[in-house]
Amino acid sequence: MSLNRPLSPHLSIYKKVLTSVFSIFHRFTGIGMSIGAILLSIWIILIALGPNYFSMFQLISSYFIFKFFLFLWTLAIFYHLFNGIRYLIWSYGKMMDLGVVYKSGYAVLALSILSTSLVWVFV
Amino acid sequence: MKYYANKWILQRITAAILIPLTFWFVYQCVLLSNYGYDETKAFFVSKINSSLYFILFTAMLLHAKLGCETIVEDYVTSKSIKKITKLTISTIVYIFMVLTTISLIYIVIYE
Repeated sequence: MSLNRPLSPHLSIYKKVLTSVFSIFHRFTGIGMSIGAILLSIWIILIALGPNYFSMFQLISSYFIFKFFLFLWTLAIFYHLFNGIRYLIWSYGKMMDLGVVYKSGYAVLALSILSTSLVWVFV
Repeated sequence: MKYYANKWILQRITAAILIPLTFWFVYQCVLLSNYGYDETKAFFVSKINSSLYFILFTAMLLHAKLGCETIVEDYVTSKSIKKITKLTISTIVYIFMVLTTISLIYIVIYE
């Protein structure tokens, strides 16, 4: 009986407001980085296996598309980090007034772009 | 109910561990992506670097596992598919957690 009931959160009937878009992106970046974490594990395993295996990584990393995905990864990780800090603060019931929620949302975007730029400028 | 409360708390503990380490990690990863084999290996031979990587990877994989499970619980309606998906996530995470740990120890010992 319970099987056919729609599950919360009911994405299809929500009006797209900033807070829900932030929440969806938090989950999207989370799924993306989970795959990224497995790829990073494989990278460390390749280092342990030796130079012959590591050359597979070097082949892949020589493509431009690799740099592009690495850039997206840094942007996603900083977005998830700063937005996550916001969720941690909310767990304590702080900063939950609607005006503050919107302002901290824009701050998350600004800090993500700033941190990503800093990493790529200084590398 | 206690089971989900513990998961909720563990999700936040791993998040708190990841916050300070992530800044260091992202910078190092982008830097290391340009390095050759010897330079990359030299980075991990350092016990401090490999210990920090071990802490970060354990927290990261657990955090990823808890997050993906939450998403599956929210959006997958079928009980059997939900069970299989969660089992697959756990298996993949634990396999890579063990393999990464063995690799890091191997790099440090057999430099």
